[in-house]
Amino acid sequence: MSPFVYYLTTLIVFFFIFAISTWGLNLQFGTAGILNFTYITFFAIGGYFTGVSMMGRPDALSNMRYILGLNLPFPIALLIGAVAAGLLGLLVGLVALRRLRSDYLAIVTVSVGAIVYDFVNVNTALFNGADGIAGIPYPFNDQLQLDPNTYTFFYVGLCAVITLVLGVLAFRIYNSPLGRTLRAIREDVDVASAFGKDSYRFRMVAMVVGCVYAGIAGGLLVGFISALNPGGWAAGETFLLYAALLLGGRGNNWGAVLGAFLVPVLFQEATRYLPQVPGHAELIPAIRNMIVGALLIGVLWFRPEGLLPERKAKFRNLLYKRRREVTEVE
Amino acid sequence: MSVLALSFGFGLITASVLALAAVGLSLQFGVTNYINFAYGEFLTLGAYLAWTLSHGLGLNIWLSVVLAVLGMGVLALLLNQFLLRPFTKKGVPLLFLLVVTFGLSLFLTNLMLAIWGPNFKSLDLPREVPNAFGPFLFTTSQLTIIGVAVVAMGAIHLLLTRTEIGKAMRAMSDSVDLAQVSGIDTDRITSFTWLLSGGLAGLAGIVLAINITSFQPAFGGEFLFVIFAAVILGGVGSPYGAMLGALVIGLATEMSAVLINSAYKNDVAFALLILTLLLRPQGIIRMAGKA
Repeated sequence: MSPFVYYLTTLIVFFFIFAISTWGLNLQFGTAGILNFTYITFFAIGGYFTGVSMMGRPDALSNMRYILGLNLPFPIALLIGAVAAGLLGLLVGLVALRRLRSDYLAIVTVSVGAIVYDFVNVNTALFNGADGIAGIPYPFNDQLQLDPNTYTFFYVGLCAVITLVLGVLAFRIYNSPLGRTLRAIREDVDVASAFGKDSYRFRMVAMVVGCVYAGIAGGLLVGFISALNPGGWAAGETFLLYAALLLGGRGNNWGAVLGAFLVPVLFQEATRYLPQVPGHAELIPAIRNMIVGALLIGVLWFRPEGLLPERKAKFRNLLYKRRREVTEVE
Repeated sequence: MSVLALSFGFGLITASVLALAAVGLSLQFGVTNYINFAYGEFLTLGAYLAWTLSHGLGLNIWLSVVLAVLGMGVLALLLNQFLLRPFTKKGVPLLFLLVVTFGLSLFLTNLMLAIWGPNFKSLDLPREVPNAFGPFLFTTSQLTIIGVAVVAMGAIHLLLTRTEIGKAMRAMSDSVDLAQVSGIDTDRITSFTWLLSGGLAGLAGIVLAINITSFQPAFGGEFLFVIFAAVILGGVGSPYGAMLGALVIGLATEMSAVLINSAYKNDVAFALLILTLLLRPQGIIRMAGKA
């Protein structure tokens, strides 16, 4: 397989992973108006738990230390990762979602992000601290025994199937009564409450499901790159997903897909191979992040609805029916 | 000398650093009614400005501190004038305003990374020896930190109670609409508040850098949630609450090191933040309409 095809398949896998992440963020931020400033932490928790569930017991010879080591097949490991991310989301929601102001939730998420990051770094027994876990077995390759090149194609297919399922689910949630209620709560909590909607419970569902999406995306990532360390999920990654969602169009799942393609895939890849400035290795990444930050602010100023705006609910059918009824009576 | 007294002393120093930062954040929150998530970067920027003035340009360290504090105040004023105020005038929902400050924090962190690089810097002070004060042990710079905080808190108190502008800030904190109909120039007060908030952040960043001896672009952002803990524990939007919250969080984090591994002292601040949100979300000093 030519390096270019290999590179392209890698990009496709990343695109699927980012699309799933952006859908989850869209459910929280775009649909329910929940400001989760540490979305990437849930992604990481999903990734770690998927990883350590697939790995065997820590080898006494290697210096890697981690919990679980259950040797489980990928689907069950991914489920464990998703549940772990969802449970953390539930805990955060229990503390923060009772408050009406979005500042409080944002403060709690920022703090949880800092604490979890510290905790994973300091407690090396958990996920091997700052060095992170590595050598996670390739999903299903025990049975398939594929060579690395063919395996990449298999993984593209696996991600495609999971992305399709989660995508259909994301669209269905958006159009379901649950999605409608979440949007009503986002627009005006008091009105939604007056109609008897328990805003706390509905927002909790969005919080947990959004975190489960993050967890699954994290699990798919470690299945592909077979390693994860704290350097890979620093706070900057959350900004990337916000920039993607805002540019693509918050509240629109197609917008989320477009954003996932434009920002984390196209922009990141286009700038990845810029030559480094000698003696100042972090200059290019720093400027890249500055652009992401400026993009975030610029989109909110120039086009807050994003490239693909959320479609406002229309009741054309309803009006049409009523008019017909009126004509029939006449 | 007892370990308890020693850690109490450390607690006082941390509380002093925290008080400067927390009051600055709380004043701005009270007047503008939204949280600034780039506040941690204001601290870092203050420390870098002081470092550049004293090390790069060779100015006297104390002159550098004064200039850096003023510089941070002006920078915060400009950021409000050209970035945040246009957004609020546009009537952008709170949710997006918070994302703007969040984006600003990413921008500023990486700007500092691009300018000053990732390596640790430190503000060099004259070499010093610890002096014993009763049961406590403080270096000259630690005493200076406490002194600066006490003077600043006193000045804030006088500002809020004795001056026209301070009273106007308190009025806006209670209700912007009522302040406006009673003839207060709310734009001017908001500008002044950002100036003050930025200056306090810069000062807090400098004393934090002195206290923990070194800093890098992420250090203020990492301290941000400890500031949040102090602000929320004290009562969001209340400057006196922020002082009280800073004292409690400062003493609790440092004195916890007597009982548990000091690597977990930030977790103590986090636990207090969560407990406050669960048990008394309005904080010690309650401000109407802020929780």
